[in-house]
Amino acid sequence: MKKRRAPKVLSSAYLIIVLLFIYLPIGYLVLFSFNEGKSMTNFSGFSLKWYESMFSNRMMIESIRTTLIVAVVATAVSTVVGTVAAIGLSKAKRIVRSIILEVNNLPVMNPDIVTAIGLMLLFISVKFQLGMLSLILSHISFCTPYVILSVMPKLRQLDDNVAEAALDLGATPFKALTKVIIPQIYPAILSGALIAFSMSLDDFVVSYFNTGAGINTISMYVYSMKRYNLSVNAMSTLIVVVVTLILILANLIPWIKDKKTQKEET
Amino acid sequence: MTKKLIASLLLICLALLPVCSLAAETLNIMNYGDYIDDQIIYDFEKEFGVRINYSTNDTPESMYTKLQTGVSYDVVVTSDYMIDRLIRENRIMKLDKSIVTNLDQLSDQVKNLYFDPDNDYSVPYFWQNVVLCYDTTKIDPEKVEEKGWSILHDPELEGHVFLYDSPRDIFMMALKALGYSMNTESRDELTQAYDWLVKMNQTIHPSFVSDEMIDGMAQGEKWMAMMYSGDATYASMENEKLTVWAPLDGTNIAYDNMFIPANAANPEMANRFINYVLDYPNSKRNTVLTCYTSPNAKVIEDLTAPGGEFEGIESYLPRSGYDKDEIYTDNELLRTETPELLVKVKLQ
Repeated sequence: MKKRRAPKVLSSAYLIIVLLFIYLPIGYLVLFSFNEGKSMTNFSGFSLKWYESMFSNRMMIESIRTTLIVAVVATAVSTVVGTVAAIGLSKAKRIVRSIILEVNNLPVMNPDIVTAIGLMLLFISVKFQLGMLSLILSHISFCTPYVILSVMPKLRQLDDNVAEAALDLGATPFKALTKVIIPQIYPAILSGALIAFSMSLDDFVVSYFNTGAGINTISMYVYSMKRYNLSVNAMSTLIVVVVTLILILANLIPWIKDKKTQKEET
Repeated sequence: MTKKLIASLLLICLALLPVCSLAAETLNIMNYGDYIDDQIIYDFEKEFGVRINYSTNDTPESMYTKLQTGVSYDVVVTSDYMIDRLIRENRIMKLDKSIVTNLDQLSDQVKNLYFDPDNDYSVPYFWQNVVLCYDTTKIDPEKVEEKGWSILHDPELEGHVFLYDSPRDIFMMALKALGYSMNTESRDELTQAYDWLVKMNQTIHPSFVSDEMIDGMAQGEKWMAMMYSGDATYASMENEKLTVWAPLDGTNIAYDNMFIPANAANPEMANRFINYVLDYPNSKRNTVLTCYTSPNAKVIEDLTAPGGEFEGIESYLPRSGYDKDEIYTDNELLRTETPELLVKVKLQ
C-alpha cells in the first residue's frame, strides 16, 4: 500500500505545479489591474482607476471592437467553409482527399510571418486596398485549415448508412446534411470554431501586415505602446472573465439539457 | 440550437458594424505609440468636423513598410533619417505654408534641418537626444561625466546596464566613444566600433531591450541605461534617484517630424492638423503628457522656467549647438551592416 501512495503524492504535486505555472501569471495580471499606483511590482492599494482609464481610452476600445468583429466574422465564415469542405472531402476519392489534406496542413505548419507577408503581397499585387476587409479575409484564410483539421476525424467515424437511410426515407440532400450529418459532427464543428476564434484573437503578425489606416487589433495596440500602462491588465482581466463565463456556459448548457431529456424520458 | 447561435452571432456583428462605416470626412494619421495626448485628437475632430483614424507603429522601418503597401495616410510622424530618404524618393508632399502658419512658433534649434533646409516638407513634432540615464546612488556622477560612453567598459557595471536594442543607436555610441562620426562611411571605423562593442559586451553583459527599459529604470531594476532623453525625462520624474548625462564624446540628436505622404487623400485637412499640433496650447499639453520635448520655443521656455512642469529636469531640453552632436543620415553602409554586426556582438 505504502509504495502505491508515494507516486500519488508526487503526481498531485506535479499537477499542482503545472496548474500554478499556467494560472499564476493570469492571477498576477488580474491582481495588478486593481493596483492604485502605476507599478507592475508594487501593489499599493485597491482601485478601479485602470478600468476607468480603459473605458475612456477610445483607441483601446476601438481596438477591442475591431478584434472582436474580426474574430467573430472570421470564425463564422471559416467554420462554415471548413465544415462544408471537410464534408465534401470525406466523400471525395482517396487520392484527392489525401492531397488536399496535405495542402491543408501547409498553412498550419507555416510560420505566421510567411503567411502574413504572402497575403500582404497578394493584396498589393491585385491592388486590393488594405483595410478591414483585407484583415477579415486574411483571418479567414488562416482559420479555415484548423476547422477542417478538427472536423475531418469526426467525419471518419460517421456511419455512411445513416445519411443514406435519411435519403431513402425521403429527406432531400440538404435536409440530410442539416438534420443528420451536422448534428452528429456538431461537437467537432464547435471545437473547430473555438480554435479558429482563439487563433484569430491571438494573432498579431498577420493582422499587422494586412490592416489599413486606423484599424488596429488589441495585440497591435499593446505592441506599439512605449510605456506599459495597467489598463492593459484591466482589458486582459475583462477578457479572462468573459472567456471563463463562455467556457462555464458551454459546459453547463449540455449538462442541463441532458438532465432535462433524462427527466422527460423517466 | 445552431440557428439560434448563428442568429445571435449575426446580431452581434450588426451591432458592432455601424460605428465603423458612419463618417463624413476622415483623416488617417500614423504616429509612434504613446506619442500624443489623445485629447488633441478628440478636440481636433470636434473643431474641424472630421473623424481621425489613428494608427501607431514602433520603428521608422515598419512605418516605411506600411507606406509601401499603398495605404493612404494623411499625416505621418517619423524620424529624421527616414524623412531624408522619403524626400529623396519623392514620397512626400510639400506643406501648404498658407495653412501651416504656426511655423514661426518653432524654436530655432529645431528648424531648417539638413534634410529639409526650409521646412518645405516636414515640421518637427518632438525632438530628443540619446543620453546615459543612471542611478546616482549606485554610480558616481563625476565618473560618468569624465568617462562618457567609455563607462560602459567598466567591469563594475556588469549586469546592471540596459542598452537600447537598435543597431544604429548602439553603433552611434561606439563610434562616438572612438571619436568618429556616427554617420561614418568607412568600413575600417565600423570594424573598430564593432570591436569596441564586443569588448563592452564581454565586460558588462548588458541587457539589450526595447521600451521596457523605461519602466525598468523607473522602478530601479538597473543602474544605468542608454536612453532617449524623453524616455529618461519620464523615468526620472518617476524615480528621483535618476539623472542624465549626454557624454561629451557627442551623441545623436533625433528629430521626429510630421509630414504628408504623396498619396495623402486629404492634404488640406492634413495641413490643418499639422498647424493645430504646432500651436502653443496643443504643443504644451502634448509635451506635458508624454514628456518628450516640444519644438515650440515658448513651450520650452515656459515649462523649464521656475514653476514649469519640467523645472530642474535636465533631460527635458536636449543639448544643442554642440559640435560633436550629430543627426542621423540615411547611410547605406550603416543601414545594411549594423543589424547583422549587432547580432554578432550579442553572441560574443
